[in-house]
Amino acid sequence: MCGILAVLGCSDDSQAKRVRILQLSRRLKHRGPDWSGIHQYGDNYLSHQRLAIIDPASGDQPLYNEDKSIVVTVNGEIYNHEDLRQNLPSKHTFRTNSDCDVIAHLYEEHGEDFVDMLDGVFSFVLLDTRDNSFFAARDAVGVTPLYIGWGLDGSVWISSEMKGLNDDCEHFEIFPPGNLYSSKTGGFRRWYNPPWFSEMVPCANYEPLVLRKAFEDAVIKRLMTDVPFGVLLSGGLDSSLVAAVTCRHLEGTKAAKQWGTKLHSFCVGLEGSPDLKAAKEVAEYLGTTHCEFYFTVQDGIDAIEDVIHHVETYDVTTIRASTPMFLMSRKIKALGVKMVISGEGSDEIFGGYLYFHKAPNKEEFHVETCHKIKALRKFDCLRANKSTSAWGLEARVPFLDKQFMDVAMNIDPEFKMINGDKDRIEKWALRRAFDDEEHPYLPKHILYRQKEQFSDGVGYNWIDGLKTHASSLVTDKMMQNAGFIYPHNTPTSKEAYHYRVIFERLFPQNSARLTVPQGRSIACSTAKAVEWDAEWSKNLDPSGRAALGVHTSAYEPQLIADDATLNGKPSQAKIKKPRIDNAIHSTTVIVGT
Amino acid sequence: MCGILAVLGCSDDSQAKRAKILQLSRRLKHRGPDWSGIHQYGDNYLSHQRLAIIDPASGDQPLYNEDKSIVVTVNGEIYNHEDLKKNLSSKHTFRTNSDCDVIAHLYEEHGEDFVNMLDGVFSFVLLNTRDNSFFVARDVVGVTSLNIGWGIDGSVWISSEMKGLNDNCEHFEIFPPGNLYSSKTGGFRRWYNPSWFSEMVPCANYEPMILRKALEDAVIKRLMTNVPFGVLLSGGLDSSLVAAVICRHLEGTKAAKLHSFCVGLEGSPDLKAAKEVAEYLGTVHYEFYFTVQDGIDAIEDVIYHIETYDVTTIRESIPMFLMSRKIKALGVKMVISGEGSNEIFGGYLYFHKAPNKEKFHVETCHKIKTLHKFDCLRINKSTFAWGLEAQVPFLDKQFMDVSMNIDPKFKMINGDKGRIEKWVLRRAFDDEEHPYLPKHILYRQKEQFRDKVGYSLIDGLKAHASTLVTVNLSDTIWAPGWSPADRK
Repeated sequence: MCGILAVLGCSDDSQAKRVRILQLSRRLKHRGPDWSGIHQYGDNYLSHQRLAIIDPASGDQPLYNEDKSIVVTVNGEIYNHEDLRQNLPSKHTFRTNSDCDVIAHLYEEHGEDFVDMLDGVFSFVLLDTRDNSFFAARDAVGVTPLYIGWGLDGSVWISSEMKGLNDDCEHFEIFPPGNLYSSKTGGFRRWYNPPWFSEMVPCANYEPLVLRKAFEDAVIKRLMTDVPFGVLLSGGLDSSLVAAVTCRHLEGTKAAKQWGTKLHSFCVGLEGSPDLKAAKEVAEYLGTTHCEFYFTVQDGIDAIEDVIHHVETYDVTTIRASTPMFLMSRKIKALGVKMVISGEGSDEIFGGYLYFHKAPNKEEFHVETCHKIKALRKFDCLRANKSTSAWGLEARVPFLDKQFMDVAMNIDPEFKMINGDKDRIEKWALRRAFDDEEHPYLPKHILYRQKEQFSDGVGYNWIDGLKTHASSLVTDKMMQNAGFIYPHNTPTSKEAYHYRVIFERLFPQNSARLTVPQGRSIACSTAKAVEWDAEWSKNLDPSGRAALGVHTSAYEPQLIADDATLNGKPSQAKIKKPRIDNAIHSTTVIVGT
Repeated sequence: MCGILAVLGCSDDSQAKRAKILQLSRRLKHRGPDWSGIHQYGDNYLSHQRLAIIDPASGDQPLYNEDKSIVVTVNGEIYNHEDLKKNLSSKHTFRTNSDCDVIAHLYEEHGEDFVNMLDGVFSFVLLNTRDNSFFVARDVVGVTSLNIGWGIDGSVWISSEMKGLNDNCEHFEIFPPGNLYSSKTGGFRRWYNPSWFSEMVPCANYEPMILRKALEDAVIKRLMTNVPFGVLLSGGLDSSLVAAVICRHLEGTKAAKLHSFCVGLEGSPDLKAAKEVAEYLGTVHYEFYFTVQDGIDAIEDVIYHIETYDVTTIRESIPMFLMSRKIKALGVKMVISGEGSNEIFGGYLYFHKAPNKEKFHVETCHKIKTLHKFDCLRINKSTFAWGLEAQVPFLDKQFMDVSMNIDPKFKMINGDKGRIEKWVLRRAFDDEEHPYLPKHILYRQKEQFRDKVGYSLIDGLKAHASTLVTVNLSDTIWAPGWSPADRK
């Protein structure tokens, strides 16, 4: 993807201001190493750092309409750009072959109401020089990152990352996904209003083949590329399905003609980690060209400051999970690969986190999945996008495809519920959809393998190493004072304290700390779901200790905290020894902030 | 190449210091986007940002000897690494296939005296943990950039770019090329002492075929790479010769066609000249255009990367800086370029006025010695800003030995004999039967770099500076002796 920075109506059209904005735009250079552009119209500046995935030769930005009266700077991909072009009246002529070129022309035809016609992930700023108005929009669930800020001079700032605007705005915040911000109305307006957004419980029957088709379509449209690409393969269900579907449909695509029909897959882990083993098995089954990357705990620790700089959070779980991905992305990019397809989003849509085992009924199950999707932008989207973009690598996430979500979130949640009696483990609805006896996508034991979370799968020593490192730096005395130093979202562990110190140094503004979510959580749940089990609220480690008693393969009984061990009643029969720490992935989530 | 940063003897082995050095090392990340490494031994830190050109799979740095008692962080290429490896006694085992892996082992055999055995361009820091000593060396003419600094805590800092150490040293300076700095003696020592360095006027006869062979060898050894590469082709004599030599070498091999790159304002003389050469040679040719505004917008970033305020260097770096980003975006990691020829052969137009061969020769020697502050700086840092490596065959050690040993009377410009500037070089590649280049290109006269990318760039830069800098400003605020002569 790319990096955009726009400053609108700053009452200053001097050369000094231009230089300042060029300087700030360069803070996003890692997102778009291939080229940069800036367009100034009076006191409006639209700048762009480009990663060229489609039309590398001519698609430099900003983009314009025919007479350059409309200027657009975009980060993202529009998958249905060819259809949209064809449906425009013939008077429109396009300056480039870029997929994003269509935006200016759609605006000419439809005004601000065209955003829902776009099928893709995007954030853009459009400047209409005819009436000196602008509007900005962000994709449905926030796959592309975007921040908005306001300056004391009356300016509005829009930036792909916080570091583009945090030093120059009086206040800034995350640009809400599925919204647009128009200078004409001076406020946000929601353009994305699918039925699931209202959290009404759907009742459509579960049709495995419809779901399968929807996912295949979502993957296929993401093969639109003019550059080398691959898949991130952790060996878990989601990434394995992405790889399997890509393999099956690669042949015959334009991408295959340019780059060959053999798919490249990538996996990262500490040496000997479960992910590496699982991914290798899947890669061998699918016949991909598989690359394994190893890192040491020390490599990870050395990278943490850079990870926080790039991912812009102090959320413990996000940092833990981002670091391996951040390291791997550098290696992948070094191989010449510019785009990867990844499996994020499936756990939110299908209730794949292990705490969903405790969902009391289908209504609460569904509402929780909706909340999870709405909060994704702050967690997995943040991680997947920014830890890859740190090295000019683009991550695409087919599970968060608009059409796929329409299908998947319309299924009666009854079918998503975990149900031991009916032999339905988590994400059964997804597994069943790809259970093809005649022409199997994946071997059964992989298709029905239970969940292993990202930061866990890279190797069990990883989390322990981080904790030990933090303990050596953060004293008990520091922890005692933590509540006074950080009254907002006070760190509750030494690890959290350590990350917070780094974050506050890099992003000292109050607005910055407010972009990171807070709240009670258990093992990645929202605060609401903490109520699903009385025992959980006793033990709010964000990493998931209290979700013990759910995972069926487990470890290290001697490490288990006494009070937390056996209380959570296993919802599945075969629990041996519950795993400590991160039996479940993780995020401290809140709802409705 | 890569980016290196070493901090030695800083009396601080804390986690905070490590984090600080990691942070500083990241300032060199553009030089080595592919991976990074750090080795800490007590209060010594050797860090590395890697651009993987040779052995992308395993050559991550720092590099070690067998028992890890010797640690090396290197920026550069060692062209004769295979020979050197073979000549080492069989007790040495190598951890990687990296060309730089040989350094630690040569040190074990020869101590600090092995540097002159290296054929390549390099700057490196070697730490011997057995006696806690270190030494640092930089290549012959400074093709790789290197700075050295001293902290008030007694530390020595070594960094590929100034930005790695300027905030933490009490004093810092350019590490002199052709020198080494050893902690044992605590000072610099010149390891490179060719006859031209003393500026004695040579008297060897001019042998065109020997000169040709020397340049061909210099070019070919630089094709040692496992990644996509190309050539910077401005259409002038030097870059055209480099391109022609590579094309001839690739002929008959399975290697893909050569890619060539040229940059300019639309309609500029370079673009036209380069295209003509590219068509003659049959390269896959790319033209990149930029506008004066693109150049102006890039100035601050160029100065940040090149670390100079020299007007000519900045002007010349801008197009190269912009082009490098585009080249890297195509997936190319290494380019071969024509720098150095003007210094060696007296190619600048003012050499027309050289009164005699002695003065001509001394001037060429001076030019080469200061190259590291000008063209080397430009070519190295403006390409590395985008993780692109530039190789300069004219500055090859062996090629310079040959070309600087020629009696300068042959290099003199002499209208009576029909000798224009760089005649010896042109003549060496004037092959009637199997021409490297068409005659009119081979004997085309020089056009300076910045003028060729388009005449309006310089005018644009001047106009831009005039709008920002008032006459009073340029006269008064600068300390005497450092006052800029014009407003740029």
